[in-house]
Amino acid sequence: MSGMIEGGWSFVWAAYGITALILVVYTISLIRRISVEQRIVDRSGAGEDEVMR
Amino acid sequence: MPTDESKHRAGSRWTPAVLLAVAVILLAIGSWYGLFVAPPEHYMGEVQRIMYVHVPTAWSAMLLFTFAFGCALVYLFRGGWSWDSRMEGAIEVGVVYAALLCIQGAIWAKPTWGVWWDWDPRLTTTAVMLFAFLGILALRRFVDDPVKRAVWSSVATIIAYVDVPIVYFSVKWWNSLHQQQSSPSTVSEAFYLPLRLNAFGMLFLAIALVLLRARLSALRLRSELAPPLPEPGAMLAATPGGSE
Repeated sequence: MSGMIEGGWSFVWAAYGITALILVVYTISLIRRISVEQRIVDRSGAGEDEVMR
Repeated sequence: MPTDESKHRAGSRWTPAVLLAVAVILLAIGSWYGLFVAPPEHYMGEVQRIMYVHVPTAWSAMLLFTFAFGCALVYLFRGGWSWDSRMEGAIEVGVVYAALLCIQGAIWAKPTWGVWWDWDPRLTTTAVMLFAFLGILALRRFVDDPVKRAVWSSVATIIAYVDVPIVYFSVKWWNSLHQQQSSPSTVSEAFYLPLRLNAFGMLFLAIALVLLRARLSALRLRSELAPPLPEPGAMLAATPGGSE
């Protein structure tokens, strides 16, 4: 016995896979939410200067 | 002719895309190196490869909450809606990173400690950090007045931030089951490159996501602060030839 944990690749793939999945889904959701909100602002004609400073 | 301001806005819209592209490249190279090139660790074997994604996530989560803390202070002392938007962005992205941190940690804990979770000081303070900032996001959803929302959530951010240094020092202050902090100076040179590449990748990704999320907050604020559109009937009445 070497004392080293044997195997474990499934845990490694799970950690990397879940990380990639959550980050990709969050990024896509953010871009979609911005596009929806931008359309609402464009329709309402709200000014930009006050909140962007 | 585009004005300087419009050029600046166009440039700032490209910044998240450039940062995202750089982050993806760094994370792809760092993860490939960490998964297939770096050797397995002496005791943890292949499972240690989770470190190349877990540690950069932890660093970025703490930096995000530190930035949110800074934004809260600036908003309270100097004002400015952009600081409120940046704070909200940093908190939301920080919560995503902190949730990932807990998930990755649980996946790493199972083969090394034999359990998915333990109420060890590092894990407990990290969970408190996650739920404290999640609570601030919930608080922001429940307050309609933008000024009250910004002030209350700034104060709550400052209070919640007290836990962040406790998370960092918990492994030093208490006899924690969790190992001490890893950094390029405390790990073998064989692990150094993927750790550093992924650290910068996660950081650039975090900055890009905060810029995008702050943009979303600013757009929502514009809708909230805009005067309501007049009713169609009122517009007709206001027209010189309109009916009474």
